[in-house]
Amino acid sequence: MRRREFLTMAAVGGAVAGVGGPVFLRRAYAQTPIKIGMPAALSGSNAQYGIQARRAGELFAKDIKAKGILGRPVEFIYEDTGGDPATAVRKAQKLVEKDGVKFLTGVALSSEALAVSAKCPEWKVVFMSTINGAGSLTTKSFHRYFFRVNTSGPMGARAVSLYLAESPMKRFFGLGSDYAWGRDSVGSFSEQITAAKKEVVGKDYPPVGTKDFASYIAKIRQSKAEGVYLVLAGQDATIFPPAGPPVRLDARGEADHGDPGAGEHEGRGRRHAGGDRQLALSLHRRHAEEPRLRRPLSRDARHLPGHVRRRDVRRASEWLAQVIQKAGTADDVEKVIDAWEDSSYEGLEGPFFMRKCDHQAVQPGFMVEAVKDPKYPHLIPKILATYPGDKVTPKCRTEEFS
Amino acid sequence: MLFNLIEQLLNALVLAGLLFLVSAGLSLVFGILRVVNFAHGVFYMLGAYLGYTTVAVSGWFWPALLVVPPIVGLVGALLEASTLRFIYRRPPIYQLLLTFGFALILEESVRVLYGNTAKGIEPPQLLQGAVALGSIVYPRYRLFLVVLGLVVGGVVWLLLQKTRAGLVIRAVAQNSEMADCLGADVARVRTLVFGAACALAGLGGVAAAPMTTAYLGMGIGVIVDAFVVVVIGGLGSIGGSMVGSLIVGAAQTWGAFYLPETAMVIMYAVMGAILVFRPWGLFGEEE
Repeated sequence: MRRREFLTMAAVGGAVAGVGGPVFLRRAYAQTPIKIGMPAALSGSNAQYGIQARRAGELFAKDIKAKGILGRPVEFIYEDTGGDPATAVRKAQKLVEKDGVKFLTGVALSSEALAVSAKCPEWKVVFMSTINGAGSLTTKSFHRYFFRVNTSGPMGARAVSLYLAESPMKRFFGLGSDYAWGRDSVGSFSEQITAAKKEVVGKDYPPVGTKDFASYIAKIRQSKAEGVYLVLAGQDATIFPPAGPPVRLDARGEADHGDPGAGEHEGRGRRHAGGDRQLALSLHRRHAEEPRLRRPLSRDARHLPGHVRRRDVRRASEWLAQVIQKAGTADDVEKVIDAWEDSSYEGLEGPFFMRKCDHQAVQPGFMVEAVKDPKYPHLIPKILATYPGDKVTPKCRTEEFS
Repeated sequence: MLFNLIEQLLNALVLAGLLFLVSAGLSLVFGILRVVNFAHGVFYMLGAYLGYTTVAVSGWFWPALLVVPPIVGLVGALLEASTLRFIYRRPPIYQLLLTFGFALILEESVRVLYGNTAKGIEPPQLLQGAVALGSIVYPRYRLFLVVLGLVVGGVVWLLLQKTRAGLVIRAVAQNSEMADCLGADVARVRTLVFGAACALAGLGGVAAAPMTTAYLGMGIGVIVDAFVVVVIGGLGSIGGSMVGSLIVGAAQTWGAFYLPETAMVIMYAVMGAILVFRPWGLFGEEE
């Protein structure tokens, strides 16, 4: 090749690259997925939460496939943590460092969330909490990279307390799993129900994985409590009577009123919609005698449908998509955070507002009863009371309510 | 106060009954095969899941109680005959790794077949509800578990102490080479004992399922307690398993009731004390 030919070829090649390159690169960039990491408990005693989160992720990715976010596809990458905090950190680190995710979500347990969240400022990735209830995540452990879209344990306790403040019941027992979420929630409930001039006659924290709750039931009964505030997750919530064969929870020991399981079935019926695990069990005979509450629930219908969990992940994903659109980037995490702070989202339950001071989504609180509906194979929530966001959200970076 | 004590005693007996079904098999297997069977807890879980299937198919609980233990026993016997039998003379780590690997395979198989969510079984109609025992109202099903534990314990003891088969099993446990010389079919005894131990665990799983549901990981939870029982009672001793189960059951239930903050510690503290002062267990024999 002569020098002139070489220069001509190089000039033509350069021109083509100059004009077509950016187009090609833009197209290639547009095909680069926005990666969301989900280090979730897909096995173990809390697997139902992780599995629901994964289903929500899969559904969201499918729904948004056509338009994407900023024209880019969304890809969820799942890792099984088994519900173990150390594994959760390891899997999250793999997602961040190997897979290059900028957003983490779907972490099931508060203990895992506290461990993973603590690393996020170092990794510079956003942690979107969709399930974790530990109050400390938005108080003493708060940092700029953490956002909580779901209700916290104290928020759930607040809604239940507001509801029970109006009830004729006066004496309550708090039973929560022995870790951050259980202790936070029972502590918050105790404070609030005491402020409502009611009495907490006992508290207990069974270890996670308790195989038999009979001793705890006996203590509850002995305390003469009229109601139990119950904060159990996963397998513990499944096997806690009312799940098992009837263990009389009736504080009055009414041996003659027929179905000894009535109180417990009734108790299963009362839940706070902020989480599918905060139950206010009424042990009062008055409630137990309501015929509809004496109907035994089938074993497979004991939990609220999984859409409670899926809904939380879905909401977080949609809100994130909205925020990324607003920020105009998914790669600059700082810009995404700025866009998310003080932003709003219109959810099925009502308006949500992500306050800047602690990244807790202000949202309405509900008290619901799980009821049977012939149209559905599972229990469905029936709303008993609704509370506005400002009533059920604590003051910034505290667990106190105004 | 007295009623509390009685109720907690009943609760301890329930837990002890279930623990006995698992730990007796574990202890037997060690006594006769000299194998620490890490897969034993998974047979308990398998029993619970097969119980769920049987109830789902038949609509009855009782057939599950009768059908599942032999099936689980058969799986156990097959495992022994096809794998363990060939490594008895190797260092214990081989048997430990094999049974641990089998536990993982079985647990993952159950996950694939049944999924991750817990499966519940309704107790039979006859055992639903509660009965009044003086001032104590106690669930019928839990009372049934107490009776089941006692009956199975009695049957196993009678079998081992009062029958010719029991005599052969004890002979193999004491000196397998001598028993072999005297005409006992040691290989068959080992297979049968391993199968029977797994069947006991399977029975425990079926019996526990209405109370705890069948869930992944239930085998790991129970095997830890069963090891504590066997350490306390003494390896290879059925009587020791019974007493160990009672001690662990009582420590867990009374601990949770009277000293909730230290409930978990009590059981291990007892085990620690036994290991220090009587390492061969309460009913074991010093080697």
